[in-house]
Amino acid sequence: MTFEIVFMWVALTFYVAATVMFVFGVIFSRETLTRRAVYVSAAGLAPQLVALGVRWARLGHGPYVGYYEVANALTLCVVAFFVVAAWRNPRLDATGMGIMPVAVLLLGAAMFASKADFPITAALASYWLFIHVAFANLAFAAFAASFGFAIVYVVRQRSAGGKWAKRLEKMPPQDVVDDLTARFVLAGFLLWGIMIVTGAIWANESWGRYWSWDPIETWSLVVWLIYAIYLHLKYMRKWRGKRLAWFAIIAMPIALFCLVGIPTVFNTIHAGYIGGSEL
Amino acid sequence: MAQAVIRRLWRGAVRFLASTALVTGLLAFVSLWSAVATFVPQGEASSPDVSAWAASNPTIEPFVRAVGLHQAFTSYLFLASVLVLGFSTALCAWRRTKVALNRARTLRTAATADRRTVCGTHDLEIAFDPALGGPQALTIAAETLGHLGIRAKRKDDVVAAVSSSLSVWGSPVFHWALVALMVVVLVGVLQRSDGLMALAVGQTRPDAAASYGVINTGIWHDWSGVHRSIRLDAFEPDFRLGGLDRGPTPTVSVLDGSGAVIKTQRVYPNMMLHAGSVSISSPACGFAVTIALVNAKGVEVGRLVQFVDFSQTATGGTVPVEPFTVSDSTGQVLLSGSVTVPLDRSGAGYGEWIPKVPTAHVVVTSPDGGQLVDSVVKPGESVMLPGGRQLRIIDVGWYARLAIVDDWTTPLLYAVMTIAMLGLAVTLLTRQQLLLATVIEGPDGSRLAVRMRLWRNTPTNRAEIASELARALSGDEKRSVS
Repeated sequence: MTFEIVFMWVALTFYVAATVMFVFGVIFSRETLTRRAVYVSAAGLAPQLVALGVRWARLGHGPYVGYYEVANALTLCVVAFFVVAAWRNPRLDATGMGIMPVAVLLLGAAMFASKADFPITAALASYWLFIHVAFANLAFAAFAASFGFAIVYVVRQRSAGGKWAKRLEKMPPQDVVDDLTARFVLAGFLLWGIMIVTGAIWANESWGRYWSWDPIETWSLVVWLIYAIYLHLKYMRKWRGKRLAWFAIIAMPIALFCLVGIPTVFNTIHAGYIGGSEL
Repeated sequence: MAQAVIRRLWRGAVRFLASTALVTGLLAFVSLWSAVATFVPQGEASSPDVSAWAASNPTIEPFVRAVGLHQAFTSYLFLASVLVLGFSTALCAWRRTKVALNRARTLRTAATADRRTVCGTHDLEIAFDPALGGPQALTIAAETLGHLGIRAKRKDDVVAAVSSSLSVWGSPVFHWALVALMVVVLVGVLQRSDGLMALAVGQTRPDAAASYGVINTGIWHDWSGVHRSIRLDAFEPDFRLGGLDRGPTPTVSVLDGSGAVIKTQRVYPNMMLHAGSVSISSPACGFAVTIALVNAKGVEVGRLVQFVDFSQTATGGTVPVEPFTVSDSTGQVLLSGSVTVPLDRSGAGYGEWIPKVPTAHVVVTSPDGGQLVDSVVKPGESVMLPGGRQLRIIDVGWYARLAIVDDWTTPLLYAVMTIAMLGLAVTLLTRQQLLLATVIEGPDGSRLAVRMRLWRNTPTNRAEIASELARALSGDEKRSVS
């Protein structure tokens, strides 16, 4: 247990360092610093993977139950998603300025939350658990990436040729950032949709009903519809620019609230996964 | 005249329903409505949660009640919005289908296009260095496109990067699947039956409305076509499998009309019994107390099974599901009573309170309310009733409350949801592009003729392609008149 926690603190330290490096790299227009920040983010993945792997081996199940595990898995996916994107296209490095704080906040909150061991109950003992949770994590990572691009877009747009626009000039042109935001929203929309579908199938196999308007089901649909609105505004109403970027910025926290906030606010049959009453 | 008016109205309605402003507005409304509904207790006005909320929020309660937010997902406002959204989606899907058909036709034609076709129809002409030969210009063009992320193939005298004609079907398939999903859900609601049936171990009941304690049936559900029975074969209070306690686990059989077993299996969380359109889970269980009424001569004259539920609040830890009555031949009630099973609270947890040898706590009252019997008895023992009659406890066993859903649309639902996601995946992952280039000879020298359609998911844009090709070929770009 201590070993896991130490490694997790190490990972968090890497992510905090990467965040600071991204911010300074962008402010002082130091491209090498933002590139190194990507490496530091990638380095943070190693201790986090080790810690989660050790926990997985010890408990016999993946990071699915309890806020500590759920937030950890989300953070891992967010950072991994960003690192892969930045590795493939170094022009996207500065997006870390928007994405890494999300990872730091999530993991930081997890480190101060209960790290109790929650066993897998009979209600959770299904292969659907892995599939359902995996798509939730991947979807959130995509939404977090779109959030990062949207932040960059808005910062640059507000600066309008000023200091921040200059600091972020290495990033792709604004219209490309706008399209990238939409591409990641579309990816998240698909992955979130698969999460809803797998959840519905699992609910039907487990409880005999595929949809029961439970708060977490309802909010997952709300998030999906919100991103559907985004996609309609982008592709059908031809919205572009700052308005759409703000939309992506506001939508991401709603997705986060759905994943980790709902079970703490509402009485839900999903409460068990975040460490509340048993499912 | 009238026809023209009707046609105009029809077109106006279609235009309105297919407008993206309406769709986005409806999506926003459904999202907001659903989100707000999660903060408001759902149920009838008489339900305790709704009443308590109404008492603590007297200012907004009249509005909430008026708009139907207490039954948010069955309210007319919500259902009407979803219905209109369904029509809008269908119209949207239809429009996308027409676009996809055109694009697919264009892509299929482009896939077999030769030099002559591109010469006849192109969007751009780019002059190139006369020192370059035609084949070399095409090679440079293919490489330039490759640098821009477009993999182009060289086919005779044409450089081509043409997406599969299937790539255009993602969005229409997704939207049609959404329409189908709404239809399947609606049909499912109309034809399904969904109820709770209580069965003691060894008991068999026909799958008919009268066998259920609670039943919700769609208006299209046809009981006359149902010829099966449900039997509870066994019950294990704490079944373990794979090192995991699966909880109280009944073994359930589904029998056909002739009594032959269709399927038998243990039912526990994540392990429902599926037999045809029927799915059975077991959300609750309790005790089943079998009682016999014995007359003054010691002859058993009747027998009944009393179901007893666990209760967190009851003194003995259990409550009767319903009281029983003893009547004479004219139907006059002679006695009424109830049975519970006292739990052994010396155990550490609720699961350990189940006694090793369960007993029955029998309370019998006369019609005027006077208490006649209040005894705890073991199986095989009796309590004496007035007139020399006895109530004999035959057995204290288990019962399972089975949730039985009869819905043939479930596989369709899964299929439609899967198709929707596949459509969305195609939309996300495939490009919709058409790019053909060939060399044409003109009075001003050789030029690269380019035909371009960049519909979706392309890594670049027309302007960048044109400028990069022009730069690579060191020529000038000129708009074609074609």
